[in-house]
Amino acid sequence: MTREELLALKNKRTLVTVFQISWIMVFVCLVVVCLHIRGNLATALPELTPVQFAIPLLATLAIIASGFTAGRAMGAIRKDDRAAFLSMWQLTIVLGGAFLAVMIAIFFYNPYLETGLYGQIFRVMIGYHAVHAVAIGWWLIQVFMNARHGAYSAENYWGVEAGARLWYFVIVAWVLFYIVLYLI
Amino acid sequence: MATVTAPLPGIQAHEEKTKLRISDYFKWTVDHKIIGVQYMVTSLFFFIVGGALVMMVRWELLTPTLDLVQNGTQFNQLFTMHGTIMIFLWIIPMFAGFGNYLVPLMLGAKDMAFPWLNAFAFWLIPPAGVLMILGYFAGQAQAGWTSYPPLSTLFSDGDGQTMWAIAIHILGLSSILGGLNFIVTVRNMRPEGMSYFQMPLLIWAILATSIIVVMATPFLAGGLTLLILDRVAGTAFFNPAEGGDVLLWQNVFWFYSHPAVYIMVIPGFGILSEVLSTHSRKSVFGYRAIALSSLVIALVGFTVWAHHMFTSLMPSLRIPFMLTSMIIAVPTGIKIFSWIGTIWGGKIRLTSAMLFALGFLSMFVIGGISGVMLAAVPFDLHVHDTYFVVSHFHFVLYGGSVLAIYAGLYHWYPKITGYMMDERLGKIHFWITYVAFFFTFFPMHLLGMLGMPRRVAVYAPEFQTLNTIVSVSAFVLGISTFIVLFNLVYSLYKKRVAGPNPWRALTLEWATDSPPPAHNFHGDPVFFSNPYGYGTEAAYRYLEEQEKELGPSYPKTMEPSTQAMAHAAPAPAGD
Repeated sequence: MTREELLALKNKRTLVTVFQISWIMVFVCLVVVCLHIRGNLATALPELTPVQFAIPLLATLAIIASGFTAGRAMGAIRKDDRAAFLSMWQLTIVLGGAFLAVMIAIFFYNPYLETGLYGQIFRVMIGYHAVHAVAIGWWLIQVFMNARHGAYSAENYWGVEAGARLWYFVIVAWVLFYIVLYLI
Repeated sequence: MATVTAPLPGIQAHEEKTKLRISDYFKWTVDHKIIGVQYMVTSLFFFIVGGALVMMVRWELLTPTLDLVQNGTQFNQLFTMHGTIMIFLWIIPMFAGFGNYLVPLMLGAKDMAFPWLNAFAFWLIPPAGVLMILGYFAGQAQAGWTSYPPLSTLFSDGDGQTMWAIAIHILGLSSILGGLNFIVTVRNMRPEGMSYFQMPLLIWAILATSIIVVMATPFLAGGLTLLILDRVAGTAFFNPAEGGDVLLWQNVFWFYSHPAVYIMVIPGFGILSEVLSTHSRKSVFGYRAIALSSLVIALVGFTVWAHHMFTSLMPSLRIPFMLTSMIIAVPTGIKIFSWIGTIWGGKIRLTSAMLFALGFLSMFVIGGISGVMLAAVPFDLHVHDTYFVVSHFHFVLYGGSVLAIYAGLYHWYPKITGYMMDERLGKIHFWITYVAFFFTFFPMHLLGMLGMPRRVAVYAPEFQTLNTIVSVSAFVLGISTFIVLFNLVYSLYKKRVAGPNPWRALTLEWATDSPPPAHNFHGDPVFFSNPYGYGTEAAYRYLEEQEKELGPSYPKTMEPSTQAMAHAAPAPAGD
């Protein structure tokens, strides 16, 4: 790579990092609002059944697992092992898709629908995160389509790296939401 | 030293051009210099719009009864649009314009790190501005720039308030993209050998501002999303009747908007450091203190938001926020004393740029002191939501930010256009602005202390005398703006050639032609190790070398023997 190309790559990496640190603040804002609303509730929230607790937990495990597969995929493309990259990237998309399907279901069917304000912020958080998952998931799919035509190599994998880094953002944002919505 | 920038095919087309046409400034381009000018001209347009709106406000307040407007709602709409336009479409984008034009040049780079993103961030502003103004005509954008519910939700039925919120959303996105670009550019594109503590102080200011922008603006984006949902989707986050909380909005809003106050003034601090040092031919006093205090302000700025809610806050939280609000005066005070130390004993040249910088120094101090007064809970409880507050923030935002913008325009106009601004007009502009500004805003302190509430069209008759003084002064202040607008255009036609470095400054933007070529520098620019090292033999030799390469700093026709230029062209003293 030329010096200019190296600088351009360094710029892109810095941009994604700073963007992640910046944009997570939207999610922090929603967390603050959620905690505030929960603290002011007049009536107790409904207890979750084991199934209602287990399904989002499984979805969370799936999206965390997708982070590991995305990392493995990136490691594979760095070694120019395209077959391993494709299979790991495909697995990332499948796990992400499974997570998203669960989130869509939770958006429409959750125990908080009749809880007024808390139900509203719950749906806003699920929906807001899902919008990010869809947008960045679409990027993952595009990378997969390009990769099938041999677009990436050990020397040229910025598209993969950017997709993985942004997907990590989706994962971290969800873990933050999951802790607030289901654990505390 | 070599510049380290990626090739920019987007501006390659400009390379062949020797001179840009006016129409080039109305097109999509990735050249940071053109984008910088686009930011500046666009924000000047909105400055006129926002100014016209407040002229109507002051016209209405000439008498204690309703005259110009028919009801309070119309009055609310006027000052809502005035405040919003001045903040989001004038001061913030104007400073972004300075940053865009100057940051790559000061770093010896060919462009910003992401030229396309830079252009995209700018082109979000005109449609957002149009949407906001359309919202005014659609009606009911009337909840002030703070947009407090329930006025902004339950009592603003029209589409205007929704359009206002969407416009702010878009402007916030523009700010974030710009901030990301600045941070990456400053971090990665400094020339080889230039440490952070060798950067010009304007770069430090832009860096600190960008950190605030990228951390605080997304928080507002979250809050605005909820506000818009309340208006269009039937949610009730800020509706107390359904369990919502209006104070929740105030907390979310001010968590962004108090840091945003520093977004609006820290770049002005940067401009001031450049202008004061250059026009007094003296090294900046306390360079590191000024640089780091910007970061401290950025950090502490996130801990003071609730001082805007002393009257509604839980009493136990008042003291902590009072203390943090007072603490933030410390880094600001460090800057003020450092600037005084900078000009102390210098060879001060009272150019228009310098006059405005000194005007900033004097007026901003008044705004700062009234800020410390407002940070004191007992005092704030007395004057909360009165004209004292209006006076305070105009001393900061006009006496500070706007005067800094004027200083920056007079200082860098020669670099941007290649021509000097008319100094005689500049000084007339300064003195009228300075006096009219003081008599517009200082009496507001008294009105506030006497108990006149802000945001009212009808007031007690005993306040009329002071209000008349304020309004007449405001009209003069408004008219004075046209002097600089005229000067900006007149100087273009007058064509008094500036030369590459008319102020004999040491920062890198002056080490190239005026205006700079498409890729900014003809070769690899060499930076001077201390950007403010005036008065040293090394600085003198550096400028001599620069003249050998670029020709005379300013043409011979501009020597002080030419009466018209006597004030503009400094004698090469002190360096």
